[in-house]
Amino acid sequence: MNRSLNEIEAHAKRAARGAGLAWGLAEEAARAARWLAAHGFGGPALLADVLAQNDGVSHAQVAPVSLDGVWHAPAQELCPLAAGAALNDCADRLAEGQPVQMAEVSYPLLVVPFAAWAAIHLNAPVQVRWQNLLIDTDGERVWLDDQQHEIETSKANELVCVTAKRRKDAAAVPGLRGDVPPQVWDKLDRFAQRTFAPATEASRLLGAGTGASDND
Amino acid sequence: MRPKANTSQTIAKRDPALVMRLSRLGAFHQSRLSFMRILTRRMIRENWTFSRPVFEFDANGVGHAVYCAHTPDRTYSLIAFGHDLPPEERSDRVIAMRWDSTFTLFDGVPEPSDLERLRRNVPLQEAGRVSEKELSVSRANRSVRLWDHVVSCLAEGMQPDPAEIAKVGYLMRTTAVYGSGKLGAADREMIADRPECAAPFQIEMLSVFLTRTYVRDLVQHIADLKGGDAAVRLDAGIARSLGIGNSTGLGMAPFLINHPKLLNNWISAREEAIAIVRSVPAATEAEVETFRRLLIRAVYSADLWHSEHPIQVEKLNRLREDLSVVTTHVAEAAICGPHPWDRLHAWAENTLGEDAQECLASLMLEPYGRLVDHLTDQMSDTDRNAFRIDGTMRVADLRAVLERVYGWALEIDWSDRSQCARAWYVSQEKLEPRLGERFEEPIAAYEQPLAPGRDAATLYAALKQEDGDGHLAAFLLAHPEHRHSVRRAQIVDRAPYAEIRDNTIGSDLVPIDMLRCKLSFFGATQFDPRSDRWVRICMFGNAPYPEELQDDPDHDWSYPPLADGVK
Repeated sequence: MNRSLNEIEAHAKRAARGAGLAWGLAEEAARAARWLAAHGFGGPALLADVLAQNDGVSHAQVAPVSLDGVWHAPAQELCPLAAGAALNDCADRLAEGQPVQMAEVSYPLLVVPFAAWAAIHLNAPVQVRWQNLLIDTDGERVWLDDQQHEIETSKANELVCVTAKRRKDAAAVPGLRGDVPPQVWDKLDRFAQRTFAPATEASRLLGAGTGASDND
Repeated sequence: MRPKANTSQTIAKRDPALVMRLSRLGAFHQSRLSFMRILTRRMIRENWTFSRPVFEFDANGVGHAVYCAHTPDRTYSLIAFGHDLPPEERSDRVIAMRWDSTFTLFDGVPEPSDLERLRRNVPLQEAGRVSEKELSVSRANRSVRLWDHVVSCLAEGMQPDPAEIAKVGYLMRTTAVYGSGKLGAADREMIADRPECAAPFQIEMLSVFLTRTYVRDLVQHIADLKGGDAAVRLDAGIARSLGIGNSTGLGMAPFLINHPKLLNNWISAREEAIAIVRSVPAATEAEVETFRRLLIRAVYSADLWHSEHPIQVEKLNRLREDLSVVTTHVAEAAICGPHPWDRLHAWAENTLGEDAQECLASLMLEPYGRLVDHLTDQMSDTDRNAFRIDGTMRVADLRAVLERVYGWALEIDWSDRSQCARAWYVSQEKLEPRLGERFEEPIAAYEQPLAPGRDAATLYAALKQEDGDGHLAAFLLAHPEHRHSVRRAQIVDRAPYAEIRDNTIGSDLVPIDMLRCKLSFFGATQFDPRSDRWVRICMFGNAPYPEELQDDPDHDWSYPPLADGVK
């Protein structure tokens, strides 16, 4: 269904929180889903998948063990949201010519929005590579080279993020709406529902405020 | 060319530690920078024209209408649907399912196919779906008492009783005006580059402005059908005094916390305006006269302001007493000499309660549109990347920021149950924010991040365990639970009015203080709490109707004309 980007972000934030992400990470996961949806990618679907994969798993088990060397999780696959957030946090490393390398990353496309925000911060394009795929972005525009259709893969064995050269050839620009298939929306909704307190008559009255009549 | 106001500015903006307390935010008054006034100034300046291509209603008010606002570049259309609502279903609460009238603001002029599509969706409100051609969705209910009075009077050939009109102030009240992508409507980003949409909430304000005209027309139409030849036209002066009511609940309170940069930009613009006027070296006679004239009307406005809520009754009594002190002071101490407004401001700070201080601060801006109106340009939030965390910041530096900006929160004993007695949560049934009792209801597990003070104190305690030379990126990798607080602290470090510097979960929290702050920026008047969690207000009361806009060059309609008709 065609959705406003605010709807997508709000729904994704609730879902990410419902799946157990910390509030700050849930905010960024939601913005990542929005960014990808605006660019015509299936960001909400990948978000739903990674939330399902890591449901009930602690952050420490899927976050980088250290920000030195190749980033990897303790034993499982690396969560693209945890790794993406860390990538944006230390974007200045890229400017110093240091690539950020990650191993065994789930749903690597979810790292790309974080690289895009790093590019805006650095005011320089950033390239993300995995398998045979290259994606360049200046934060807004996207240049994609994906001969093998690996963009929405569920796992990358290796992912590299580096600053890139400025490009003048035709780029994809973001739109102002996003398409989210109903089954993806529902999948996110199942996580989002966990954030809502069950309604009781007491809370209905207490929580929203009783008081003087509202029909006069 | 814009006047170079700040060349003479020597007086700094007020300290955020003073301004951003809930009691003061809960005492804010509308001003020249309020969003309704930004809109009507633009309509007048750009000579907007208006039309009503469709208006079809039966004697029960069932039907639809289209009201068009034509700017120099484009047209916006309010599409209004009228319904026959059984009295037992009339409720302003968000849990209502049906309303007297429902609306959408359409981008352009709707085709018949658009009207058909919208007729199937807009009456359902949250249960319906709109598209990117629609910019807002809203609904309104009649004030039954006043509606029936006005219809029967007009139908019988009489004008309604002005005392009855003054008691309520509006014929319909909106209960929600959804914009910015809600229910599938266009995101703000789709229209933000249009000049008429640059200031905050202009689409929502336009929707309400046109709704007020629709309500006036509809009440007349129904009275005409009822009274036939006996019916008379509603007196233009009475019509002018009528605004649109609005019932607002807790949904509005989290908005201020969830949009820290936007809050900063609103408050900062008003504070800068106050500082500019305080810095004016000398006032002209005309400027002083404008101020005196509007002070009389502000006193009258406070007299008209009704509320039965104990907190508001007390505040109103103090405001009226204080405004009488101001009147005496202004009559005895001439507003002259160097920096007259700064001296008045200093006197007010030492003499008046917060409500009258803020009323006076807004009044002082009135003679100086040429110096302060341009500040409305900076009230939106265009910084898309403010959410990025600077992970290279050292732990010691963030500790210093927290000490400076959240000192008030670090002094609170958060283990004291009264300091964290409340919790904000979202209810399952209508996805609306609510405020509950943490220790009495099972809601803590669903708590929303709307207690920045407590969370900043928790962050500070965690940072004290860390090496001061360490970087935040490493700290956050191990402690993702602090990401939202680190982000806020870095925002508030750059934008000092971004944070409410008060406890938002204490047992003594009065949530309507947050509502009053936001509604004052909308330009609302007659703030009337119905409990500590929901309020009624009036919007566009005394504002010109579309055909009257060009007769109102003073832009001062927010202050009611005196009873004898003197402006």
